Amino acid sequence: MKTITGVLLCALAAAGAARAAESGRLEYGRDVRPILSENCFHCHGQDAKKRMANLRLDTFEGAAAIRNGRAAVVPGKPEQSVLYQRITAAQPALRMPPAASNRHLTEAQAAMLKRWISEGAQYARHWAFSPAVRPAEPAVSDPRWAKQPFDAFVLKRLDAEGLRPSKPAAPGAWLRRASLDLTGLPPSPAQIDAFERDARKSGEAAYGAAVDRMLGRSAYGERMAMDWLDAARYADTHGFNNDAERSMWRWRDWVIEAFNSNMPYDRFLTEQLAGDLLPAPTLDQRIATGFGRNHVINSEGGIIDEEYRVEYVADRVRTLGMAWLGLTLECARCHDHKYDPITQRDHYRFYAFFNSVPEIGEDGRVSNAVPMIAAPTRQQQEKAAGLERAIAQLAAKIAGKEKRWVWKGRDVAARAGVPAGAALEVHCETTGEFEPANGLTLAEGIAGNACVTGGPGPGAQAPGKGFPVSRREPFTFSGWIQASAMDEDAPLLSAIDYARNPASTTYGGGMEFRLAGGELEFRFSQRFPAYSLRVRSEGARINPGEWRHVALVYTGAADKTAMRVHASWVRIFADGREIPVRVMNDGLALPEAKTDKPTPYRFRMGWENAPNGKRFAGRLDEVALWNRGLNGPEIEALFESRALPYALGRMRANVAAPGEQAWVRAASLAMTDAEFARDRAKLASLREEWLALRREAPFVMVMQELHPPRPTHVLMRGAYNAPGEQVTPGVPESILGTWPEGAPRNRLGLAAWLTKPDHPLTARVVVNRFWQQLFGLGLVKTSDNFGLQGEFPSHPEVLDWLARDFADSGWNVKALMKRLVLSATYRQDSAAGSALIARDPENRLLARGPRFRLPAELIRDQALEIAGLLTHRTGGPSVFPYQPQDLYKGIVVAADYPGTRYLPSTGGDLYRRSLYTYWKRTVPHPTMTVFDAPDREFCVVRRSTTNTPLQALTLLNDPIYVEAARKLAERALREGGSAPEGRLRHAFRLATGRAADAHETEVLLKTLDRMLAAYRADAPGARALLATGASPADPAMDPAELAAYAAVAGMILNMDEVITKG
Amino acid sequence: MLARAGYGLGTAALGALLSAGARAANVFPNFTPRAKRVIFLFQSGGPSHLDLFDHKPAIREMFDKDIPPSVFGGQRVTGMVAHQDRFPICPTMYTFGQHGQSGQWLSSLLPHTAKVADEICVVRSMHTEAINHDPAITFIQTGSQLPGRPCLGSWVDYGLGSENQNLPAFVVLNSLPGNGQPDQGLLSRLWGAGFLPSRYQGVQFRSAGDAVLHLSNPPGVTRESRRAMLDGLASLNGRLHERVGDPEIETRIAQYEMAYRMQASVPDLVDTSKEPESVFKLYGEDARKPGTFAANCLLARRLAERNVRFIQLYHRGWDHHGGLTEKIPALARDTDQPAAGLILDLKQRGMLKDTLVIWGGEFGRTVYAQGTLKRDNYGRDHHGRVFSLWMAGGGVKAGHSHGSSDEFGFNVAEDGVHVHDLQATILHLLGVDHEKLTYPFQGRQFRLTDVSGHVVRGILA
Repeated sequence: MKTITGVLLCALAAAGAARAAESGRLEYGRDVRPILSENCFHCHGQDAKKRMANLRLDTFEGAAAIRNGRAAVVPGKPEQSVLYQRITAAQPALRMPPAASNRHLTEAQAAMLKRWISEGAQYARHWAFSPAVRPAEPAVSDPRWAKQPFDAFVLKRLDAEGLRPSKPAAPGAWLRRASLDLTGLPPSPAQIDAFERDARKSGEAAYGAAVDRMLGRSAYGERMAMDWLDAARYADTHGFNNDAERSMWRWRDWVIEAFNSNMPYDRFLTEQLAGDLLPAPTLDQRIATGFGRNHVINSEGGIIDEEYRVEYVADRVRTLGMAWLGLTLECARCHDHKYDPITQRDHYRFYAFFNSVPEIGEDGRVSNAVPMIAAPTRQQQEKAAGLERAIAQLAAKIAGKEKRWVWKGRDVAARAGVPAGAALEVHCETTGEFEPANGLTLAEGIAGNACVTGGPGPGAQAPGKGFPVSRREPFTFSGWIQASAMDEDAPLLSAIDYARNPASTTYGGGMEFRLAGGELEFRFSQRFPAYSLRVRSEGARINPGEWRHVALVYTGAADKTAMRVHASWVRIFADGREIPVRVMNDGLALPEAKTDKPTPYRFRMGWENAPNGKRFAGRLDEVALWNRGLNGPEIEALFESRALPYALGRMRANVAAPGEQAWVRAASLAMTDAEFARDRAKLASLREEWLALRREAPFVMVMQELHPPRPTHVLMRGAYNAPGEQVTPGVPESILGTWPEGAPRNRLGLAAWLTKPDHPLTARVVVNRFWQQLFGLGLVKTSDNFGLQGEFPSHPEVLDWLARDFADSGWNVKALMKRLVLSATYRQDSAAGSALIARDPENRLLARGPRFRLPAELIRDQALEIAGLLTHRTGGPSVFPYQPQDLYKGIVVAADYPGTRYLPSTGGDLYRRSLYTYWKRTVPHPTMTVFDAPDREFCVVRRSTTNTPLQALTLLNDPIYVEAARKLAERALREGGSAPEGRLRHAFRLATGRAADAHETEVLLKTLDRMLAAYRADAPGARALLATGASPADPAMDPAELAAYAAVAGMILNMDEVITKG
Repeated sequence: MLARAGYGLGTAALGALLSAGARAANVFPNFTPRAKRVIFLFQSGGPSHLDLFDHKPAIREMFDKDIPPSVFGGQRVTGMVAHQDRFPICPTMYTFGQHGQSGQWLSSLLPHTAKVADEICVVRSMHTEAINHDPAITFIQTGSQLPGRPCLGSWVDYGLGSENQNLPAFVVLNSLPGNGQPDQGLLSRLWGAGFLPSRYQGVQFRSAGDAVLHLSNPPGVTRESRRAMLDGLASLNGRLHERVGDPEIETRIAQYEMAYRMQASVPDLVDTSKEPESVFKLYGEDARKPGTFAANCLLARRLAERNVRFIQLYHRGWDHHGGLTEKIPALARDTDQPAAGLILDLKQRGMLKDTLVIWGGEFGRTVYAQGTLKRDNYGRDHHGRVFSLWMAGGGVKAGHSHGSSDEFGFNVAEDGVHVHDLQATILHLLGVDHEKLTYPFQGRQFRLTDVSGHVVRGILA
C-alpha cells in the first residue's frame, strides 16, 4: 500500500494559510482563488458549455447574482450564502463538490471560504495578468544584509516568519556555485585560490569581477542554452517511430551565440518567433526561426497529412504558451480553458499566427522537412566572402576585356570535342523519333529542327524503353530550350507520376526537369513533394525567346556508406557554366547498395501527367542523357558545339541577340588572348571552389509564410477535420494587454506584443525561469503555468522587482544573471539544521542558499573538466560519445537511414560538452535520461530531479565516468606531489572546490590502502581498469598504483557533494 | 552492510526510499485488488484479428467482392491504400476452430493458445481512435495519441509502488522477432514517465550485455573492491549529511546500496540456466535464446515471482501490409507457444489468479485487401474500428469471449471496448479507481484514461 500526494493543492493551502495569518487579511489570488479554482471552476467557471446550473463562481457578478431569491455568495454573510451552505451540507447529495468529482474540500479550506465571504468576498484580477510594477523598498530588520535591492523583500518575508538568513557561503563555495550556474563548469583550484585572495583584498569588487569573467566565457552561452533547448524542444531527430535525423544544430549554435553576445531578450524572442519577417532578414535571423520548427515531425507512411500539420501548428501554440507566456494555451485547443480566461477561439487566434508555413504533415523520412535553408557556418561564410571578392575582381577584369572586344568576322570553334557515349540522344529532327509522338510538331531549333509539345491529351514520349537510373550511380542530362512567355512553371522532361491520388504514399515518384520562374529545377522523387530531392538553379535566368543550353549532373554516391541521397550530388549548368543552386528539399532515401537496382525512366517531352497538367510551350532540342557524370569542360564543350555555329550564323545575318554575341566573344577571346584564357580558367577554378563550399553548407529548417496565408478555423474538439468559425490572428487583449499600435497581424506583430515593456507575463516568466536555474525552484514554482491554476509566487515583490528591472534594463540577460548571483539571497550558505529543513524542506522561504543535484549535462561536463578530458570547442554538428552497444537494437525501425545507427565519435568529440550529444528522441542518450533529461518531444521548462539506483550504477560503471576517474587519478599523481595524502587531497579539491577535512582525508587514505593492496595483487585487474575509455593511460605510471588512485577518484566523483551544487 | 560504512543509516531511511516524497491525498489500492501484478505482452504493428481470433464465416464466400458502403462508413483511409480504387473483401486463408470447454474460436495459427482457450478471455470488440502506429501505440500505452503522458506501467508504479526492495517496480523487455525483421520502431516514451517524476519510467532489461544498463562493475573492479569503495563513499556522504543536513544525501546513500543489491539480484534473475527442462518444453526451445519473445516470457515469470509490479513485453513485426500469409505464421510461432506456456506456468505455480496477462497490439487490420489480392496471399492495412486481444488471470473471466464485431470484422457489433475502457479495467483489477489515480500537471488533474473510460464489468470474474 502506498500513498500519493496532491502536492500542489496541499502546498498551496498550507502556504496560503500561513500567509493569511501573517498579514491578517485574506488575499483572493493567494488564499481563496486556488481553492475555488481547484474545486469549483471546473463546473462553475468560464467554460459556458460545461457550466452546471448556469452558475459561475469565477466572477463576483456571477457569484453574487440573485437566483431564485438567493445568491451563491452574499458578501459579509456566509451563513446566507448558498456556496457556503452547500460546501458544508451534511447531506451527501447536496454537498459540494460532489463526491463523483473526486474533489474534496478540507475543513481548513471551507473555513477559509467562510472567512473570505465574511470579509466581503472580494475578487481580484489574477496577479499575473497585471503588469509588474516596481514595489517600494520595505523596512527590514537588517538593511545592511541586502546586496541587491530585491534582497530586502526576501528578508522582509524571513522577518515575518521569524527566521534569519543563513551566513554567507565561503568565497570558494560561492565561486563553485556561481561557476556551475553560469558556465556549467567548476572553477579550478587555481581560480579559487586567486578569487579568495581577491576577495580578501578587494571584497565586494572581487565578486563582481569574478562574475564578469564567467559571463565573458563562451561556456556561459553553452550553459544558458541548455535550459532553452528543453523549452524549445531541440533535438537531432524528428521523433515518432521512424525518428530519422534532422539538422538543426545551426539553430542550437545561434542560441549559444545569442547568449554569449548578450542579445537582449526582446530580440532573442523576436528573432526566434519572426526573424524571417524582419525587414531584409539576415541569415542569422532566418536561422533563429528554426525555433518554430523544432517540434516533432511524423514520417510514418500513410498518415493523413492535414492531421499532423495541425499537430505541428498546435505544438507551436503550446510552446508559445509554455516557453514565452507561462500559460497552458493548449488547454483551450478542444474547448474553452477550464481555469484561465482563454477561450477556444483565443487559442485558434494564436494558432492563426503559425498556420501559414508551407509545410507537409508527413515529412522528414531521411532528413530535414520543408521549408529549409542552407545555413553556412561563420567560417564558411567568411571563406565564401573572400572567394566572392576574388571572383568579383577577376570577373571585372574579364568584363573589361570583353567590353573592348570587337568581332572581326572570324570563326570560332568549340575547344573540345563533344563527349561520347550518350545513353540516349533525341535530336528532334523528325516526329518519328518519338514513341508516341502525340501532338508533337517541329520548328526551327538550335541545330536543325526542334520539337514543340502540343495538347491537349497525353503528349509525346522520349523513345526507347526508358533511361535506367539508380540512385547510387551518376548520370547527366543535357539539352537546349527556348522558353516561351507562358513557361513560368513548365515540365521539360517529366518522368514523375502525378496521376495518382496525392494522399497516396506512392504519389509523385520519379524524375523530372522543369523550368520554374526562369530557373531549372530538378526533381528526383519517391513521393512528391515530401520524399524528394528538389533543387533549383539560382541565376540561370532563362528568358523567353532565348536559346539556352541547360545541363544537370548527378554525381551519385561516391561514398558507399551514404545512407541517403544528398542534394550536394546535383550540379546544374546553363550555357556551359555551373550555376549555384537552392535546395528546396533534400529528402530522398537511398536504397542499400545491394538492393539499389536501376529504374528505367521514360520522359514525357514537355508535359506532365497530372490531371490538367502543365505543358512547356517553348522549343526543346538536342536532348541527351548519359549514364555517367560529365565534368565541367565536357559540359562546356557540349554547349559550345551547338552554341558557336548557331551564334556565328546569327551574327553573320546580323540578327544575333546580345547573349549569342557573348558566346562568340568569350570563345574568341579565349582563343586569341592567353591572359584572358588564363583568367577565365582561374575564374572557373575560383567558382568551382566557391560552389563546392556552398555544397558543404549545413541545412536548417526555418519558418516561412505562405502568400496568401492559409485560412484558420476554430477546430471543433481540436480535430483537424472539424473546422468551425473562421478566425484571424490575434491575442486576448482584454486579459493580457492591447495589440501594439501599427504592428502587423503576423508573427512579427505577435513578438512586438509579447515584448511590450508592460506585458504582464513575458518578463516575469523568463525571470522566474532564470531564478529556477539558480535556485532549483522558481519564485513561481509552476514555472510552466502562470495561469489561475499556477502557484502564487513565494515572493511576489521579488518577482515583480526583477521583471520590472529586466524589461526596463533593455532586457539585459547578463545584467540580470549578475544581479542574481551577487545577491545576498543567493550567496547564503546552503547548509541547514534539521529544524529549518523540517519547516521549509523546499527552501521556499530562502533562509538558506540553493542546494540541488546538478542537471544531467553538468554532471558529465563537470566530470570531464575535473579529469582534464573536456574538449573546449563551441558549436558544430552533434557528437556521439560512448553509448552502450546495441542500445538502438530492438527499438529503432528496421530500415537504414540517417538516425537509425549510432556511430560513435572518435578523438576529442568523445569529450565534448553534453549539450552537443546527439539527441535521438525515441532513444535519448541514457547518460542524459537517467539524470532526468526529457526526451524533447515537446516543450519542457522544468525537469524533475530524482534520486535513483540507476543513477548510482551510471556514475559507478558508465565508461565515461570510469575513464574520467582514471584521468582524475593521473592528475592527482602528476599534480598532487609525491605523498598519497597530498595527491588525494588534490583530487578531492579538484572535484569539490574545497579542502578535505581530517575525517575525509582519513577515508580517502584508508580506501586507497585497500585499493592498492587489491591491485598490487591483481595486475590484470589493474590493467583492465586502466583500459576503459579511449584515452590512453599514462605509461610512465605504475599500473597498480594508478588503478588504485582511479578507484578512489571514482569514489570522489560519486560523492553527493560533487554531483550537487551546494 | 551499512554499519560497515561507518555511518549509521536506519532502515527507516531505506524504507522511505520507495515512498520518497509521498504525502497523502489518495490511498491505493482503493479496494481489494484482484491482480497484484501485470504482464503485458504487447504485439506491436497491429496483429490481424481476422487471421488470428475473429472468426467470420459469412465472408468466406465473398472473396474479392466490394465491401458494402454501409459497412465502410466514414473509414479514414491511410495513405497506403488511398490510391486503391476499390476495397475488396479478403477472407482469411486460415481455418478456425472452437477450443476447450468454452468453445473459443481461434485460428489454426494459434495451436498452443488453443490449449489454454479455457484460461483466457478474448475481447473481440476492442476499438481505438488512431489509424497509424505511433499514435495508436502511444494511445494504448499512455491514454493519449500524443506524446507527453505517463505510460500505463508508470501510472501503476506511481500508484502502487514496489513490493520488491531489490528490483524496479516497472520492467520493460523488448523482443526481436524470430525472423529478425522488425518493421516499426518502438519509442522509449512508451515506457516513459511523461510528466510524472522520471523515477517512474520503466527500466529496460536488455538481452545483450548488461541486463540493466551499467549494471556490471567495469573490468578490473571486483565485488569486494566495489564494496570497499561504497563503504568509503557512504562515509564521505554521511559526513556531508552531518554538515549540510540535506535529506537527499540519505536517499543517495540508500540508492547506492540498492544499486549494489541489484548487481546481485538482477544477474540471478536473468539467469535461466537452472530452469528445468520441463520449463523449456513449456515455453519452447526459443526460450533458451536471450532476446526472443519466449525467453522474455520466461523472464516475465521470474520477474512476477519476485513481485515486480508491471512487466511490459514488446514483440514487433505484425505490420503486414503485404505478404501477410508469408509473414504471419512466423510471428504467430514466435508468440503462440511462449504466451500459452506463460499461462500454464503461472497457473501451475498458483500465480495466475493474481497475475494479469494481456496479449494484444495497437489495432487490428482491414477486412479489405491492401495491394494485390490472392486467396493465399494478401495484405491488410491498419484498422482501429474493431480488433481483438486476450487477457488471462488476475480476476478476469476464464474461457470467455467478450463483445463481437460485425459479420465483416469491420465494426463493433456489441459490447465495444474502447482503449480507455481497457485501461480503466486493468487499473480496476489492480484495485485502483482509474478516476482517482491522478497527478497534478499544468494546473489540471491528469489521469491515464483522460476524461473517459469505463470498467468492463462483463469480463470480471
